Amino acid sequence: MSSLTIKGRIWKFGDSIDNGNIENVMGGVDPEFKNKVKPGDILIAGRFFGMGASDEHAPRSLKEAGISGVIAESISNIFHRTLINIGLPAMECAGIADALRDGDEIEVDYLAGSVRVLRSGRTLAGDRLPDFAVQILAKGGLMPYLKNGGEFK
Amino acid sequence: MPLTLTEKIIARAANRSSVAAGDIVVANADKLYIKDLRFSKKEDAKGLYGVLLEVLESMGKKNVWDGGKIVVNLDEQPPRNEKRAEGQERARDFAREQHAVLYGGNDGGIGHNVFVEHGHVTPGEFIVGGDSHTCTYGALGAFATGIGFTETVGVLATGQIWLKVPKAIRFEMTGKPGSCVVGKDIVLWVAGKIGYEGAINRTLEYTGPGIKEISIESRLTMCNMAVEMIAVNAIVPADERTAAYVREVGAGDFTPLASDAGAKYEQVHGVNLSEIEPQVAAPEYPANAHPVGEYKGVKVNQGFIGTCTNGRIEDLRMAAGILRGRKVKAGVRLVITPASFFAYRLAEKEGLLEIFKNAGANVTSSECGLCVRQSLSAGEVCVSSGNRNYRGRMGPKESSVFLSNAATVAASAVAGEIADPREFV
Repeated sequence: MSSLTIKGRIWKFGDSIDNGNIENVMGGVDPEFKNKVKPGDILIAGRFFGMGASDEHAPRSLKEAGISGVIAESISNIFHRTLINIGLPAMECAGIADALRDGDEIEVDYLAGSVRVLRSGRTLAGDRLPDFAVQILAKGGLMPYLKNGGEFK
Repeated sequence: MPLTLTEKIIARAANRSSVAAGDIVVANADKLYIKDLRFSKKEDAKGLYGVLLEVLESMGKKNVWDGGKIVVNLDEQPPRNEKRAEGQERARDFAREQHAVLYGGNDGGIGHNVFVEHGHVTPGEFIVGGDSHTCTYGALGAFATGIGFTETVGVLATGQIWLKVPKAIRFEMTGKPGSCVVGKDIVLWVAGKIGYEGAINRTLEYTGPGIKEISIESRLTMCNMAVEMIAVNAIVPADERTAAYVREVGAGDFTPLASDAGAKYEQVHGVNLSEIEPQVAAPEYPANAHPVGEYKGVKVNQGFIGTCTNGRIEDLRMAAGILRGRKVKAGVRLVITPASFFAYRLAEKEGLLEIFKNAGANVTSSECGLCVRQSLSAGEVCVSSGNRNYRGRMGPKESSVFLSNAATVAASAVAGEIADPREFV
């Protein structure tokens, strides 16, 4: 089960980070990040997050590091689907990068598509996820979804 | 309601009379491509087949949805390490037990080239593949898009995939490409013009009167790099060139489809092919593209001609045109990797491999090669006919990769610095 409502500290990254540089918990951008991030933390990225290869060890490394959710200005289709399929909630939210400072705490409701910034009290509206994505996340990913009788209808 | 070509294919695959951008549909896959790397333990300790068997068992099934629709390819022969060798063994087990089509050895090469050259793409099909460059097949008028490891397991088990119908961008081509301008230059020019913002998660449709001037091989390049613009897919409506090509490679019969007049596009861009110069994409983004003249004189340590983007016979012929009677500059290495054995044998027959060797190039067996392997040291520069120049793609983060067509790579290897291939013909 992936939680669709989360609260946590954010870590902010920039634009145009490709799959290869996400490998090993954002290792291509900040090799020390894997030692700093704590379970439950939330990853914020800019535009074009996860562009490039379809390799899954990059997104899996984020999940294995305990990251509880991803929000970016925009996310490549393949990468976004993969995050959902491995049970890591992710959504696009215009303006998220500007609205947050590194270390902010936020509350995210992936079902409603909303982000509340605790410091400013401001609420941002992200893109709501398609129903299939919500159902898959509710089961913890595509594999548990299919193993528990999930069907595409 | 008028539909784009991509919408027509998605609607048919989803058993619907019509779809529109933004709709969420469930489509039945006509084909599934899987690379051998997916069967290794790189992404999951159980490997793809191990994960799949667990899912099938929980669903009360023994077999995949339709083995005859699945093509598996061994992208690297011989395998480079134990993990890869083990993955290839599992890929062979899978193909044998699930009755999938398997390519490897000397009928193979890079999967996307093999998939096309062995007639697995029929115009109008809905194809997904476990590799991001699956979008290449759109060149033959099919819908094709890449998927990840877990999603590949899902398609194997169910034959289905849910998707959001993408918004469409149309490129209306006019004119004729000039000297040393091929699909690579056209797609880099397009990427340079619209950037990622314009194309992310969209459909790209290449059409217009100029499209008939563009070879099938160049169209394959243009669709291959759709994922480099972060698009979902790219497509070229099938025409007479497509029909002749699919007949030659033995693909199925098809009814030509095109977008309807009045179909909805988010953006329409005119592209005058005669105005496009050979392009170079500077580090670290494929959309960082400019005319080759802007980078003339940048010192080069390595040239690489190959990949699913530009390792086809058209590219090898272009490179040979530059390298005939010339030598690679001392201290520069030029590696030429025909993308498939189909291209390799043709190049051999036409005497191109001899030209490459005489020029001092290192000709290798057909595989993904240096595109997926580190070959640069800190500070080194490579000009590559491949598709990705992200930071650290071919070496440490202090190395850099420029992308261009194969003629520009060859000319640059001879000059020892980025050079305009038009000055060599």
